Amino acid sequence: MIAVTVAALLLLPPQTDTVEVLSEATVYGESSRQELLHTTLGSVEVGRTYIENHFSGTLAGSLRSIPGVQARSIGSGQSKPAIRGMGFNRIVVAVDGIKHEGQQWGDDHGLEIDQFSIDRIEIIKGPGALLYGSDAIGGVLALYTNYLPTKPLAGCVHLFGRTNNESAGVSARLEGRRRHFYWRAHVSSTDYADYVVPTDHVEYYSYQIPLLNGRLRNTAGHERDASLTLGYVGARFRNDLKASLTYAKSGFFANAHGLEVRLSDIDYDASRRDIDLPWQSVSHTTVQNHSHFHGEGFTLDADLAWQYNHRQECSEPVSHGYMPKPADELERAFRKHTFTGKLAGRIFLSEKNQLQTGLDVEFQHNRRDGWGFIIPDFEILSTGLYAVDKWTVSDRLSLNAGVRYDYARTSIHSYQDWYPTEGTCKQRSADILRHFSSLSWSAGLSWTPGRWVLKANAGKSFRVPIPKELGADGVNYHIFRYEKGNSDLSPEESYQLDLGLNYLGERITLRLDPFLNWFPNYIYLNPSADYYEGLQRYGYTQAKVLRAGAEVQVNWQISRFLEAEAKGEYLFARQMSGDKKGYGLPFSPPWGGEFSLKYTFLEDGYFSLGTRFAGRQEDIVPPEKATEGWWTLNARAGKDFRLGGMTLKVALQVDNLLNRRYYDHTSYYRLIGVPEPGIGASLMLGLEF
Amino acid sequence: MKTKYLLIPLLCALGACSSDKDTSLPEILPVGESTAPLNCQVYPRGGAIFFDYLLKDDKELGAYNIEIHNNFDHHTHSTEAGECHHEGEEEPENEPVNPWIFNKDYPIPAGSTSFEAKQTIPVPADVDPGEYHFMIRLTDRSGWQQLKSVSIIVSE
Repeated sequence: MIAVTVAALLLLPPQTDTVEVLSEATVYGESSRQELLHTTLGSVEVGRTYIENHFSGTLAGSLRSIPGVQARSIGSGQSKPAIRGMGFNRIVVAVDGIKHEGQQWGDDHGLEIDQFSIDRIEIIKGPGALLYGSDAIGGVLALYTNYLPTKPLAGCVHLFGRTNNESAGVSARLEGRRRHFYWRAHVSSTDYADYVVPTDHVEYYSYQIPLLNGRLRNTAGHERDASLTLGYVGARFRNDLKASLTYAKSGFFANAHGLEVRLSDIDYDASRRDIDLPWQSVSHTTVQNHSHFHGEGFTLDADLAWQYNHRQECSEPVSHGYMPKPADELERAFRKHTFTGKLAGRIFLSEKNQLQTGLDVEFQHNRRDGWGFIIPDFEILSTGLYAVDKWTVSDRLSLNAGVRYDYARTSIHSYQDWYPTEGTCKQRSADILRHFSSLSWSAGLSWTPGRWVLKANAGKSFRVPIPKELGADGVNYHIFRYEKGNSDLSPEESYQLDLGLNYLGERITLRLDPFLNWFPNYIYLNPSADYYEGLQRYGYTQAKVLRAGAEVQVNWQISRFLEAEAKGEYLFARQMSGDKKGYGLPFSPPWGGEFSLKYTFLEDGYFSLGTRFAGRQEDIVPPEKATEGWWTLNARAGKDFRLGGMTLKVALQVDNLLNRRYYDHTSYYRLIGVPEPGIGASLMLGLEF
Repeated sequence: MKTKYLLIPLLCALGACSSDKDTSLPEILPVGESTAPLNCQVYPRGGAIFFDYLLKDDKELGAYNIEIHNNFDHHTHSTEAGECHHEGEEEPENEPVNPWIFNKDYPIPAGSTSFEAKQTIPVPADVDPGEYHFMIRLTDRSGWQQLKSVSIIVSE
């Protein structure tokens, strides 16, 4: 264990400070004083065991029992994470320090990352713009897959299954190290069927859609992932080169692709495992290299990465308005290349003072295809330069402060319809060239009197408007509305104050993370009263937004074998100006939390029973519906068994034990009235050798 | 739970709340005998549809749109629209040659909470006969939308 931790420390990119690998199931309970001391912004760390024990089919789903983290699910096999209600392009998901670039703007797109290859996750619940640049305005999900192998040959195999969507999967890792050289190979494969909801019909716009045996037809899918890492580790220099490929294909709920209810000749009920139209597929290829040099009083880190994201979305071709019936099924396709270069240095000015500085460069190149136009072709060049100073005043007090300057150049290409509207092919998007620059800053302190760890952080962060916000101009068939970009948008800015109160008692630990956040110009897709080409027009606009909220967690070690845990989160958001003054923000999670009791036996065995609950969400914006409050009963159990030199890990999870019907306000299918899955068990078997 | 009751008054005191927020959808209602079109009504080519519905909203109406597209592939939308072929008779799927495409947006006078929408929509003499969907879309000022879909038949 210690060896692994040390190895992990050696390989970490410069942005993270000291790391404590949490091998237990709970998150904050084991948070050490040291770890809490090192950052002034609220962050949560989870390790591989946590992900395995909370396995729920998608990475974002596995993380949602962390207060402040939400999963925006699209069916059972796809979901995207949100932090304090901020998702899409307002959070950064980084893999080994490189920002993951897909088509993050999509409501119905998942995350193209193999959750089984992840060793450790750090969640920054607040603006992380200083180290991650634009998009980190709402938070950062930093994933690390780079633990250093310690044995000549080691590995593990995981088998997992879920009853609700009849999913089955296998994941295998093999790794080795010989003196200075090491390698790691990883493969994963998952298949799942249409998932089951506790209802026999779905009602949308007073149209009843019957469901056969409660199955949400055409939500089946599969995922295949592979990666290979080659590394060198010397006394002062180390390097690792990683190539990875993820591929996923999944169907969209057939009767209401977007918000238009349609019947089709396809016999969707013929098989619950096939994927019919409409469906989406995405492959994501990454090649990345990380180098680290350790000198006298300084360190240097360099990263180079190439990502290629290829997405296809197909649906039955139909005529709409002036658009004739398209010749094929390819509604949208995107090919996006992203090149990233990072250089970072850390200078130990004195024993107590450390300066970190870096330069980031990223280039994105996106091309579209298909008969449905939603975002134009574009290229984006962005660069950022930052410096952060950390001053350890005493072993109880540390301060840090930093500044960052960013520049981005966005070039958008014009697009013309492929069919005529009253004689001419309409121009949708114009050629747009925009330059953005922004100065962001952050300052904070961490103070540890006795058993308390108190933190405060204030900062300004920003986000460059994405090409969809600047140049969208067409029908979004997935949601059946007309979306219009605004080429005059200014960079979104955010001012945020974060506090962290931690009490680390012998038997009780407490954590409270309140925040206050002000956006002078939040970018928002506003549903208007107007029609354009027969569809309601939604236009990008900017409004003042006030947000506030808090997460709380209390752990109580009642006895050696019994632990109680309570978690909660609350978020308030208000638009303070513009057309929707007085309204909240879309997809706002309601207040909610978890209570659980955990019984530990035979060292590493556990059984826990808990309830998840959420309040009513009536703070809605068109076209959302108010969502009733709900609660579910859930159980988890697990144990490690030693078999010679091997370890067998068993983790079982049963969700929604009472098969209650409820709606998750942040789910993609909430808009069309689809409830959350009913009772379902997940089993994970892991064999480590 | 407690934080909710503490935070909301606090933030309301800061001016963050507005109580007159609109959260309900507008309505598309019949106007009595003159309501048209109704489900499965037959309209001859060269004739006209005398559209007449009552639009209502509790705060303020926005705009409405009428869109007509063919249902030659027998897809089904929402609300009332279904298929209108006669019993025992299976309509073949037809490839459209010159289908009727109609798509028009109409304003509603500002400040209206109730508005009788009347339009005369001529049926072109040269379009393909067959089953069509007549879609009515209505918004209110806040951006809430209501849909109504009616099946009509265009006859030779």
